[in-house]
Amino acid sequence: MPTVTIDDKQYPAQQGETILEVARRAGIWIPTLCHHPSLEPYASCRICVVEIDRGGWSQVVTSCNYPIRGDLTVRVNSQRAVRARQGIMQLLLARAPESPELRDLAARMGMPEGTPYPTVTEAQRNCILCGLCVRVCEEKIGASAISLVGRGVERSVAAPFRMPSEDCIGCGACAAVCPVGTIVVRTHENDVEISPFKSRVKLIRCRECGKAIGSELVKQALCRRGGSTVMEMLAGADFCPRCKRKNVARKLTVLET
Amino acid sequence: MSTVLTRLPGPENLEELRRRSLAEQGLITHRVRVCLGTGCVAKGAAKVFERFRQAAEEFGEESLVVQTKCTGCHGFCERGPIVVVDPGDVFYPGVKEEDVPEIWRETAIGGRLVERLLYKNEETGKVATRCEEIPFYRAQQRIVLAYNGVLDPTRIEEYLAAGGYAALAKALTSMQPEEVLEEVSRSGLRGRGGGGFFTGRKWRSARNAPGRPKYVIANGDEGDPGAFMDRSLMEGAPHTVIEGMIIGGYAIGSSQGYLYVRNEYPLAVQHLTLAIGQARELGLLGENILGSGFDFDIRVNRGGGAFVCGESTALMASLEGRVGEPRAKYIHTVESGLHGKPSLLNNVETWANVPQIILKGADWFASFGTERSKGTKVFSLVGKVKNTGLVEVPMGMTLRQIIYDIGGGIRGDKAFKAVQTGGPSGGCIPAESLDEPVDFDRLTELGSMMGSGGMIVMDEDTCMVKMAKYFLQFLKDESCGKCTPCREGIAQMLHILEKIAKGEGQDGDVETLEDLGRLLEDTALCALGKTAAYPVLSTLGRFREEYEIHIREKRCPAKECPGLFRYQIDAEVCTGCRLCSKKCPVEAITGERKKPHAIDLDKCTNCGTCFDVCPFSAVIKV
Repeated sequence: MPTVTIDDKQYPAQQGETILEVARRAGIWIPTLCHHPSLEPYASCRICVVEIDRGGWSQVVTSCNYPIRGDLTVRVNSQRAVRARQGIMQLLLARAPESPELRDLAARMGMPEGTPYPTVTEAQRNCILCGLCVRVCEEKIGASAISLVGRGVERSVAAPFRMPSEDCIGCGACAAVCPVGTIVVRTHENDVEISPFKSRVKLIRCRECGKAIGSELVKQALCRRGGSTVMEMLAGADFCPRCKRKNVARKLTVLET
Repeated sequence: MSTVLTRLPGPENLEELRRRSLAEQGLITHRVRVCLGTGCVAKGAAKVFERFRQAAEEFGEESLVVQTKCTGCHGFCERGPIVVVDPGDVFYPGVKEEDVPEIWRETAIGGRLVERLLYKNEETGKVATRCEEIPFYRAQQRIVLAYNGVLDPTRIEEYLAAGGYAALAKALTSMQPEEVLEEVSRSGLRGRGGGGFFTGRKWRSARNAPGRPKYVIANGDEGDPGAFMDRSLMEGAPHTVIEGMIIGGYAIGSSQGYLYVRNEYPLAVQHLTLAIGQARELGLLGENILGSGFDFDIRVNRGGGAFVCGESTALMASLEGRVGEPRAKYIHTVESGLHGKPSLLNNVETWANVPQIILKGADWFASFGTERSKGTKVFSLVGKVKNTGLVEVPMGMTLRQIIYDIGGGIRGDKAFKAVQTGGPSGGCIPAESLDEPVDFDRLTELGSMMGSGGMIVMDEDTCMVKMAKYFLQFLKDESCGKCTPCREGIAQMLHILEKIAKGEGQDGDVETLEDLGRLLEDTALCALGKTAAYPVLSTLGRFREEYEIHIREKRCPAKECPGLFRYQIDAEVCTGCRLCSKKCPVEAITGERKKPHAIDLDKCTNCGTCFDVCPFSAVIKV
């Protein structure tokens, strides 16, 4: 079992684990943005960088995907590592200056407010191109409705041809993982909208009280993937949780009397 | 004449075909070789070739067998189209269509020289008949480019007649894979694509990696601006790369090769595809090559138009049909590369060196070059130098020898300022280092790098700020956009340089550029981002004053940045023709007819129109 030394303290690790996994287990905080425990590491934001000892020289690596393959000496809070992470944050703040989440993270990183850089890139409003939305849609939901399009500073996230996606099921997973709150789920009269992708999917409202429940396509996907018996699912799927509970309570009272 | 290509069951059949091809070639008494590399074609060589071909066809006499053939790039691109006539290796540069009948009649048939068309040395006035007599060629050592200008790249028989595929036969029949690997290791060959990694070491890691199948990949995605070494190699000698790849596959235990060629090289794609087809017909690719039991085949994949796809992991992503985005190399591609399998990726020039190393031995190869940089290197010598083109020289030759002896020195005899090597990842080397030897380690120590071999020569009229800006603009366009530092950082650096070049630079800009350079080097995902700052940092290192003059005095010493220098009319040259004053959009030029004119600097907007239109070059930059 390899030993990982982080800032002079030793911790046991498993072969193939990442530095970030070891650090988290040890309670050591390293900022992340494009990382999500349920998704494959993408290492695009670079905010999780740390310094590792290469015997004679040191290398700056991303902790979210650096694999432990033997004993390793890591410096999370060396001057070089701290300066690197702060430099990345300054660049991100220049790109997305309106994001409260980024500013909070910067504060937590011990940085003064603001950034020395002007905003020179803004192909997509308040997007840091972490790719989490694209990755969750592909890896977990299996819809691949959106993708990273374009190259370089013109890169953005969009559905094919920037038109409302034909594959989006309106689940809102993208909104759930977006670290800067750019992706938003909006409910309208009859549909669920995922902004800014302009996807619209039919909205199910509670048969009893009319409250918005969710996307029709999500219901269909859930039915397809099973879980409880299909009939039971279909029966409960058109009611909001509160009305569902009332129905169950009604049935129980009827049984009793 | 073309031979019907049938499968060669064994090495003795290869030898027999070689002898036959040589004998056929021996029947040709007179030969006209026309360079049809992309550069010469752009200058009209295809038409020249066609005229010669027609002349050869119409030529009736039985006693004289004349052949016209197309060859790959000779390298002396400055003087194209190039035509060489045998016997005698008579070298004619700059041949136009109307020169063809005379060359045909006098030299091809008559064996006489056409004096007016021969190469003339500007300085000595001497005329040269053969290319060895020309300074551009004399100092070169052509190993990789040996076949360019000599063989027709579309005919495998010519490669065979010149000894091609003998290395493959030797490896397959008399060497074990381990011995092949050992020979390449001992030769000291280092990657020619930019990394300069010891090739033998990489091969060994690929051989030792667990995992099947293994892949062999040739990187033909040459993207550095000004670089065309690989293009000429792939166009002019495709078989050298193919043979090298098969030998590499044999050494590491792979049966599948991929040749990734940038789509912007259609002639290279064409010639490589043709060459692979012919090799297959002969059974030099496919199953049971030359009866050895070893299988190997190659597929050509074209790039999609991205510089970043020259990066090995992005290239492999592209081969897999995914977007060309690099990934972390914490696990090397020799262990897990294409499709997660062990992959041996080398640049095409690296592959092209392999057959010669196997045939002539590691000691022969190591006899060229320096202690840690063996062999030769192909450089594309471009910029403000008199003889632009492709040169192949032994490692260790000095910059001065390359730029002055081979390159002929600076155009217009201006002062040398710097030479940029290594493309967008490299740096500028100033005049005080001209006598330094060109090798991997020395160039890195000088703050630049070998890179893939681009050498851009600059003179006193080149602005280093503008030059750095050029490379950053290129990298900004080519950045894949995945990682924050490269995507955002390059844009920030470019923004600062643009301000400086407009006279809006501020105190602190230089320090910010240095901070960003360090940030990119530490945190970028791939070499494109990590080295993106080098052109800026190296010019800051050697020419800091030039930056400071831009920032403090709002002046461009080299007089390139618009608005940061003035135009003035030289009263001694000006004839008073009035053309400039007529063309000036703001009526800033005054003067009487036939008397020297003057520019009112208060009105002048620095548009440069007067400079462009003056027929006497009387408008100067100050």
